Amino acid sequence: MIEQFAEGAMMAFTLETIVMIAIGLFSGMLVGALPGFTTLMAMAILLPLSFFLDPLVGIPFLLGVYKGGIFGGSIPAILVSMPGTGAAVATSIDGYKLTQKGESRKALDIALFSSVIGDTFSDIFTIMLIFPIAILVMQFGPPELFAVLLMSLVIIVATSGSNPLKGLVMMLFGLWLAQIGTDPIGGVERFTFGLFELKSGIPLLPMLIGVFALPELVYAVMRNEKASGFAKLVGERLNRVEFKRCIPTIRRSTIIGTSIGIVPGLGQVVAAMMGYSAAKNASSHPETFGEGEIEGVAAAEAANNAVNGPTLVPLLTLGIPGDNVTAILLGAFVAQGLRPGPQLFEEQGSIVFGILVAMVLANIMFVIIGYLSIPFFARIVTIKTGLLVPIVIMFAFAGAYVFRSDTTDVLMLVAFGAFGLLARAAKFDVMPMVMGFILGGPLEYAFGQTVAMAGNSPLTFMFTERLGMVAVLVATPIIGYILWRRMRTATA
Amino acid sequence: MRVLKFLTAEAWLAGLLALLGILGLAFMSDLVAAPKVLFGRSLTAIPPSLFPSLVLGALAILACMLLYALRKSLLADESKTFEEGAFLRVVLLFAIMIFYALTMSPLGFFISSALSLVGVAWLAGNRSIAQICIVSVVSPIALYIVATRGLAVSLPELSTIEFFYARVFETFGGFMSGPEEVAQ
Repeated sequence: MIEQFAEGAMMAFTLETIVMIAIGLFSGMLVGALPGFTTLMAMAILLPLSFFLDPLVGIPFLLGVYKGGIFGGSIPAILVSMPGTGAAVATSIDGYKLTQKGESRKALDIALFSSVIGDTFSDIFTIMLIFPIAILVMQFGPPELFAVLLMSLVIIVATSGSNPLKGLVMMLFGLWLAQIGTDPIGGVERFTFGLFELKSGIPLLPMLIGVFALPELVYAVMRNEKASGFAKLVGERLNRVEFKRCIPTIRRSTIIGTSIGIVPGLGQVVAAMMGYSAAKNASSHPETFGEGEIEGVAAAEAANNAVNGPTLVPLLTLGIPGDNVTAILLGAFVAQGLRPGPQLFEEQGSIVFGILVAMVLANIMFVIIGYLSIPFFARIVTIKTGLLVPIVIMFAFAGAYVFRSDTTDVLMLVAFGAFGLLARAAKFDVMPMVMGFILGGPLEYAFGQTVAMAGNSPLTFMFTERLGMVAVLVATPIIGYILWRRMRTATA
Repeated sequence: MRVLKFLTAEAWLAGLLALLGILGLAFMSDLVAAPKVLFGRSLTAIPPSLFPSLVLGALAILACMLLYALRKSLLADESKTFEEGAFLRVVLLFAIMIFYALTMSPLGFFISSALSLVGVAWLAGNRSIAQICIVSVVSPIALYIVATRGLAVSLPELSTIEFFYARVFETFGGFMSGPEEVAQ
């Protein structure tokens, strides 16, 4: 595995990869800086572009969009108190106060540095964590895989944004959508209604763009926003003394963000809020938080960016996306002919390690690009949605079309967009549906193989003979705890 | 009145999913092909309808439970309501998007994009003729060039438009040539 790591590291250092990471970072910051446009939307729209690039160019490009987008969201949060992403809500608390005090440049500087530090440490932690997990996962057979997939689905439902019952219903709907097409075990047609277009199943790309990007665009049109005021970048740069004062806060938030990133479904918003609260509680001057404290910005930004690395662990080792961003990354892997999971480590481990090294490389480039381009992105904040929404819709439609050159995919995009909008209006989280769709095929396949291995007593076989029992024993108290906490919060 | 009040976005979605589960189960034998059989024995360990039956059965039961919980107000109604103007804009936007999807193949990428993006820009509140022209005419051309020349992927084309642009690319020669042409 060490050789694979070294080979992957060498493969990541190519001019093409570096250029595409830079483009990804710039694109992510651009979209993140626009109020109302999310990183997720940027990734969904730019996903098709990665299909036509080498895996070690296309996937780092998307990771660049992700990293750039998370930081980009903090720019409008600091300058005009309009968080570009949910993760930047905690940043806006002190960031905007600093802008009002004439110190917006300082706020953006500390946001950039703490983002990069949090992200870099979490990426290094991810690389170290992935070795032992990958070795363990390589021992997995179909029963273990089935148990882990099932456990992942339940965790995603338990941590989804909506009520657990709604999450469960959406997950089952996603599982059903995955069954449309040809049966993965017997090769017979299911739910195709005689339509040729459905024989190969529902494509992932129109679903991802439809449910994640189109509702955002529809909401932007509904808000009918004009230019969002005038953003000013003023004040002095961050000095060394101020930066040194923030180091303990950045360290604490990085640990919090990294720990949250390992748990599927929690994500940046929770990390940023927890990092901010922890910094306030630990501070000797908590009264300054909320009044323009640079440590508040550092705490939120370090925590939300430290989530980025560990969310990739379940995706790369088991093929299970922990959140909607990693679901999009899974789409990129699948389109490249790579199926994340134990087999990928065995067959193409150097690519996996190359991607991880590219993540660290992206952070180094992030400091340079971010530092130089902050003044430019400060102006972008005020661009009208009337100019951007049509262009983004065109990208979405072209992106849905190009993968299979089929206009049916474009119609599916509109259908999923309408469904995503209805789900959003009804406060049903679409994340469990997407996860059910992605994991439905492998789950059924692993179930079929387990039954075939077990003969007449599959349950006895699974719970007594195999590691699956361990997975279930570990998962049950975790899931129980999450559900108990959620029920307590709901009744409080 | 009570029934109308009950028909929120949440209830609609839960009802649709419950209906899907029930109808899927009822017509399972028509919707799922019979398993392949050799010498009277199935070739697979599980029949192709087993997993769908489990999923649709659970979906029907849980969606009905959700409907019941909503009706009895055991769950707080979290549905969002749109004001009339906003709702009309959503309907118009989806009408434009359906038009865009349906015309992309017969009219080609340029014409369908130009026609649709004018409508989208207008709906999004843009009233500047110059900006609408840039968005609807210049951006599809720019995307077309990047996609077909830079990434070597195809977008739907109307033959006359394709012919016109082929001439334009020919005139500009190597400057706009795709990677494969450069290699030649």
